[in-house]
Amino acid sequence: MVISQLSVNVDYVRLQPDPFLNELTSMFERTTEKGSVWVTLKHSSNKSKVQRNKMKTAGEKVEYRCLIRATDGKKTISTLVGPKDHQRFQSSYATILKARMTALKKRERKDKRKATDSSDKKQVPKKRSSAAKKISN
Amino acid sequence: MVYIAAWDDFVEKSVQLFRADPEKTRYAMKYRHCDGKLVLKVTDDKEVKLLWFLISYQCIKFKTDQAQDAKKMEKFNNIFFTLMARGPEGFFF
Repeated sequence: MVISQLSVNVDYVRLQPDPFLNELTSMFERTTEKGSVWVTLKHSSNKSKVQRNKMKTAGEKVEYRCLIRATDGKKTISTLVGPKDHQRFQSSYATILKARMTALKKRERKDKRKATDSSDKKQVPKKRSSAAKKISN
Repeated sequence: MVYIAAWDDFVEKSVQLFRADPEKTRYAMKYRHCDGKLVLKVTDDKEVKLLWFLISYQCIKFKTDQAQDAKKMEKFNNIFFTLMARGPEGFFF
């Protein structure tokens, strides 16, 4: 039991939420050309089943948190987020995902952008003329 | 281990799976930038006997390459963060 627990701790370096998010960002940066990033969420009490059962029989309340693990295949990190700080964590996590997941396809937007780009170019001389009119007025 | 095509179906089944066994269920996300692919997976590693010699595992997956699905995933993440961080009393929301 002890050995397996130790190996788990060694495999997934336990970090505080903010350093975890920083490290996650650099994982996304490292895997832009090749490789993948995995992020796993798990309901965890950070205690063994034996400990949990003991606490339950003693009538103690087992405190659960969200265990988040991340890996790029080479490095593995993890963090624990409790009920108090999960909202702050999930909003920064969402911001990172939004900033890094740029390889996904956008729906029909590319065509629209091209259309607006070309129309902008056409409008440039018009704007100038209207600006010139304003000045002359 | 079949990919579910409909997003709402995926969300519903995932939450069901988690509620059935909160301590064993995990939710994993895989993102591959060079291929522009995103895979979501929820499983509790429970064995399902298909036939006497064929064993499968309870596993729900969703695969996409669309940016609009990443927005849906954000909501899904929020659901799972809330479910997992708050403990049994936070299951009903």
